[in-house]
Amino acid sequence: MTKKIKIGLDFEVDKLTNSIENLATGEVFDTEIVRLSESGVTQIKKNDWQFNWHKEIKDQSKEVYKLTTVNNPTIIQGLLSIEDKKDHIFMHLIESSKFNKGKGKVYLGVPGNLIAFACKVSVDKGYQGFLAFDAKSSLIKHYEQTLFATHFRNRRMFIETSAALRLISQYFKS
Amino acid sequence: MGLIKEPKNIDLSTMSEPWSDEELKDFRLIMQKIKLKNSRRKSAIKKSKQPKHV
Repeated sequence: MTKKIKIGLDFEVDKLTNSIENLATGEVFDTEIVRLSESGVTQIKKNDWQFNWHKEIKDQSKEVYKLTTVNNPTIIQGLLSIEDKKDHIFMHLIESSKFNKGKGKVYLGVPGNLIAFACKVSVDKGYQGFLAFDAKSSLIKHYEQTLFATHFRNRRMFIETSAALRLISQYFKS
Repeated sequence: MGLIKEPKNIDLSTMSEPWSDEELKDFRLIMQKIKLKNSRRKSAIKKSKQPKHV
């Protein structure tokens, strides 16, 4: 992906080269994120995923994206479901594929990659990078430290402009 | 390139519940404040970049 993208706050990203890292070898693979439509539902085998992604894709209010490596676009590394709330983006679901979970996970960086993408969508839509989501209680601290997310209340969290731009610059090299 | 790597024994998956109207209202207040601050900062930067006329 080499589209030139202009985002807010005079921050320009001109090359989209996100990547994930093979845990065993340390090798880094370029990735791409593509929106899934209803016709793409067959790419997702229900048993391979914890959440009901078929239902998510059919929901017109949501947008579902898949993350794959550039070299192997048929193998889904992770999925993301977001909704345009008109002044921010709401992240409904995010899940790594089963081979990217647990101690034997193949790739690192799948969720971070997808979250950075959600922030970029927010910036592109003029919402200044705002992304809202719920976190597992045990992961709130981790999200604060790694995603620069703000703990709002209970499990509610959000990513604001400066944090979003940091994430985007980490994943989308300029 | 600083990849954000989740801890090896942790899987970052999230399922959000719908936010209540009150939560959304409070969140939007915070968001408005930050957005206003951003636009002020942006216009200050623009001003400082303008050439000075002597």
